[in-house]
Amino acid sequence: MADPSLKTKWSRHSAWADILTASPSDAARPCGVNVVAREGLGVAGIQAQRGRKAALSALVKMRYGLELPTTPRAVRDAAHAFVWAGPGQWLLVAEQKESFAELSELAAVSDQSDGRAALRLSGPNVRDMLAKGCMIDLHPAAFPSGAAAMTSIAHIGVHLWRVDEQPYDRPAIFDILVARSMAASFWSWASASAAEYN
Amino acid sequence: MANATQPFRLPQIGLVDRNAPLTFRFDGQALSGFRGDTLASALLANGARLIGRSFKYHRPRGLLTAGPEEPNGLVELRTGARREPNTRATVAELYDGLEATSQNRWPSLGFDLLSINALFAPALMAGFYYKTFMWPASFWERLYEPAIRRAAGLGRAANAEDPDTYEKAFAFCDILVIGGGPAGLSAALAAGRAGARVILCDDDFALGGRLLSERREIDGLPASQWLARTIAELESFPDIRVMRRTTIFGVYDHGVYGALERVADHVMAPAPHQPRQRAWRIVAKRAILAAGAIERPTVFGGNDTPGVMLAGAVRTYVNRFGVAPGREAAIFTAGDDGWNTARDLAAAGVKIVAVVDSREQVDPNLRTLCEGFGAPLYAGASVFGASGGKSLRRLAIREANGSVRTLACDLLTVSNGWNPTIHLASHQGHRPVWNAAIHAFVAGDLPDGMRVAGSAAGRFSLREALLDGAQLGAEAAQDCGLATKQSAPAPATDPEAVAVAPVSRVAGSRGKAFVDYQNDVTDRDIELAAQEGFRSVEHLKRYTTLGMATDQGKTSNLAGLAIMAELTGKTIAETGVTMFRPPYAPVAIGALAGHHRGQDFRPVRLAPTHQWSKELGAVFVESGLWRRAQYYPQPGENDWLTTVNRETLAVRGGVGVCDVSTLGKIDIQGADALTLLERVYINNWSNLPIGKARYGVMLREDGFVMDDGTASRLGETHFLMTTTTANAVKIMQHLEFCLQVLWPTLDVQIASVSEQWAQMAIAGPRSRDLLRAVIDEEHDISDDAFPYLAARMVSVGGGVEARLFRVSFSGERAYELAVPAGYGDALARALMAAGRPFGVTPYGLEAMGVMRIEKGHVAGGELNGQTTARDLGLARMMSGRKDFIGRVMAGRPALVEPDRPILAGFKPVDRAQRLRAGAHFLGLGRSADLDNDEGYMTSVAYSPNLGHWIGLGLIKRGAERIGERVRAYDPVRNGDVEVEICNALFLDVEGARLRG
Repeated sequence: MADPSLKTKWSRHSAWADILTASPSDAARPCGVNVVAREGLGVAGIQAQRGRKAALSALVKMRYGLELPTTPRAVRDAAHAFVWAGPGQWLLVAEQKESFAELSELAAVSDQSDGRAALRLSGPNVRDMLAKGCMIDLHPAAFPSGAAAMTSIAHIGVHLWRVDEQPYDRPAIFDILVARSMAASFWSWASASAAEYN
Repeated sequence: MANATQPFRLPQIGLVDRNAPLTFRFDGQALSGFRGDTLASALLANGARLIGRSFKYHRPRGLLTAGPEEPNGLVELRTGARREPNTRATVAELYDGLEATSQNRWPSLGFDLLSINALFAPALMAGFYYKTFMWPASFWERLYEPAIRRAAGLGRAANAEDPDTYEKAFAFCDILVIGGGPAGLSAALAAGRAGARVILCDDDFALGGRLLSERREIDGLPASQWLARTIAELESFPDIRVMRRTTIFGVYDHGVYGALERVADHVMAPAPHQPRQRAWRIVAKRAILAAGAIERPTVFGGNDTPGVMLAGAVRTYVNRFGVAPGREAAIFTAGDDGWNTARDLAAAGVKIVAVVDSREQVDPNLRTLCEGFGAPLYAGASVFGASGGKSLRRLAIREANGSVRTLACDLLTVSNGWNPTIHLASHQGHRPVWNAAIHAFVAGDLPDGMRVAGSAAGRFSLREALLDGAQLGAEAAQDCGLATKQSAPAPATDPEAVAVAPVSRVAGSRGKAFVDYQNDVTDRDIELAAQEGFRSVEHLKRYTTLGMATDQGKTSNLAGLAIMAELTGKTIAETGVTMFRPPYAPVAIGALAGHHRGQDFRPVRLAPTHQWSKELGAVFVESGLWRRAQYYPQPGENDWLTTVNRETLAVRGGVGVCDVSTLGKIDIQGADALTLLERVYINNWSNLPIGKARYGVMLREDGFVMDDGTASRLGETHFLMTTTTANAVKIMQHLEFCLQVLWPTLDVQIASVSEQWAQMAIAGPRSRDLLRAVIDEEHDISDDAFPYLAARMVSVGGGVEARLFRVSFSGERAYELAVPAGYGDALARALMAAGRPFGVTPYGLEAMGVMRIEKGHVAGGELNGQTTARDLGLARMMSGRKDFIGRVMAGRPALVEPDRPILAGFKPVDRAQRLRAGAHFLGLGRSADLDNDEGYMTSVAYSPNLGHWIGLGLIKRGAERIGERVRAYDPVRNGDVEVEICNALFLDVEGARLRG
């Protein structure tokens, strides 16, 4: 009766599908802002259960080798980043989708892997571009490596953090997450704001 | 070389680039200038004296100043969609191909028919419009106003959409330096050397301020060398941002400054991807106001004749632009500064025909200087008349002994002292204070973190500017926690004299003496205001329009106050001053909007199935930020109702699918999760088993209904709440408030998962058959295993996690199937493919609305913030065994009053008639007035199942009046329909379809 082909594995759509298009690389003219869509990430909201923050920290330290931040910072290694998201709350961003079930003993874990669209922004003009929408100070003196912020850009809520370890005078690299439904509007702002540098 | 075409260009003088000639057009005439010119300087170089006509009297006007304070030299710049009226020629940077048009003249600049207004001038005194056009009132809009607007308008706005883009941007610094003259530059230098993050803004395209206009020396060398060295050093600091062509237009709380950067106003059109202007929000810990000063005109007869110019502006034209504003110049000065102009003009080869110094005592050195010019000196004298029409020809001078003489010349330079540019210092409500020593207002209390340096502080000498800047720059750096080294000695400057004895107005003037050039306010208007009792500065301003033009009275306010003080026998300090408010200079609305216009006015949210809907030709509707599919027209369907009827019948007759991803979804976990639900919903939740969903209603604290939706129990301590699309954010905030403020001890964690899940409704008698083809085999969805209100984890598409809910908004057997948003598109396509044998039909918001009205389900029209659970027929849901938000307030007498309008259904008695939402209910035969109002229609739809219009509405004692007839009265759309009150459930009263 039903078409058996329907039960084969469905294809997963990128949040940036139909939005981001690859730009031709032009080695002769370096880009001021580079944008990379971060695909296939595992993203989860982590909220410690009441009275279990210390235990959760210990578990994260043991399991991931990372210290849960207690201020707006991102603590990361090659595979995982824990980004502060409010008192007792973090965003766990894994390079690959994986189960975070073991954290559920101590925390409410909510999968957001499909709910967030992620970009990595770099290049010599990345701060100039972000300054056209970001209302916080991203100068290295104010936003050093590892700093994180929940703010809004062009009326769109964003979670943003610095992922580079560059010295003070080198251009920074930022990871940025936006709600999936607003990815197109965010890109409309981002592409217009970066256009003069590319 | 250029002198053939630029007869007033001076050889060898000035900072314009003689190797970069530019051509431009003024009123269609081709002219030439150089890079580095302003439109004003290029016009003067070409001998253009007459630039425009005045606002009220259409008097011929030329340039008065060389800066942003210019009241006269306003032009329309550019053409077509880029035409911008009221552009000051003095700040319009010349570019190749520039086109400018004089404004407020008809039919041509030289020959202006409307200048006949000037002959009727006595009639056009202050208050004339108010007094004359009072009666009859109906004539104002039709007759007087259009006529006055044509006669007295300024420039014309473009009448096509602006083709350029604008941006907003945010910047942060330790120290904001406002003004790039000697004070600002030395402040930025001192702060930069201390390691501060500095932003230096200057509205000019070249840094230097008055240094560009003066022949001065610093450390024994021409000031230009100090300037070049300083700029080079500033630009070498990585944390100093120098912003040319940038005007700070406003000062706001907490060290926030508004700035407008003219990114591409100095070129024909912005480069691709370049904005025309950028509005900056600058946050600074400290600010140094080094905005300089604005020279004061003198009020005397004919002081608006083209060729009468401020002395400092003349030095700018000569020294910076290499332009002689005339051939034979007279000097009228009230102080030492006017003599500098005489000296510079003479050095440039302009003949000085006379120096009129209003002071009786003139320094012997100056007398000697005057002899050097070969010109007579009239000390203690004044110019009381200037004439010549379109270009200055004659002056009338009254000597100290009273004798009168006339003098021929084509340029009169006027020097009457300077007013510090303190507008920004008073943007936060701080009143300027009078400083008698310099005869000017200076900043009083200052905005937090601001200091004032140099001329802006009334310290007019170059020496003081450099000293102030260095000192305040270093102090500001220290305030920011930076160590400053022992400061280098201040640079030495050549001697200067700044004494002045200002003249408020010249007594016994011949002809009109203008105070406010742009609004055509004369000294006589001030007298009239005084005579009629409009003596307070605020009344004076509004009665005469003094200072209310686009220049905001930068050159006129003080003269007006001085005359009022003289007339009322008060001091200027007693007379007071009006406040300065942002913006300091005009700001285009486009710059404030930035990126956010058209489709980008605010962000748009797109459902995970958006692309799929688009391919099917959906018509989308705005629903908050969301774009939702409203209906899916097919070829041949010419109106939305045809489409919606088809979609509705398809769902009730077979199966339809609809995106419901936009509903709010809140994940609730924690030991006390159930307690939270019990407290926020009115109904009981304790007996909800795992794997089941339940409908719930929430009240606000005041007892009115806030929202409805379902919650499903996914685990012992794990729930998923859904909200309406409109209230998704509000309910999340409400729960946050409850957990953080009302019950912080509850162990509950909530997270919005609205974005994570794509969700489709699958509704209709064949919905289970369709689902069976999509859901993986191992999940049993038979009615025994998955009855009405079941809610469980399933999988689809070969292992994709999914959540299945058997809930129904349509009243049919229906399900909602949720998958991670990345699979939303695949889900929609799989449902369509699998549903082909069942004739699956995608349906939109309209059909959903029709079906919920047929079933009497409440939605936005009824959940309008003014209805109680009882009003909506949901009183029985309110649990009496627990407390919940809104319980007590819902019991207030007015909310349980039996006469309150209650939800009911409505059918037109004549079934062919259309119903309208918003119609008010009146008893049959009752007149349409408020006393007879019984309620109103909240939602209507055409029911293709019933073949007529149906409605939901709120009517007094609705539940008791089934079968009664009333009027549905809709005067807005001429509707007056007799309707029958019925049960708000039009279809399948037993619910047989729902349970299958």
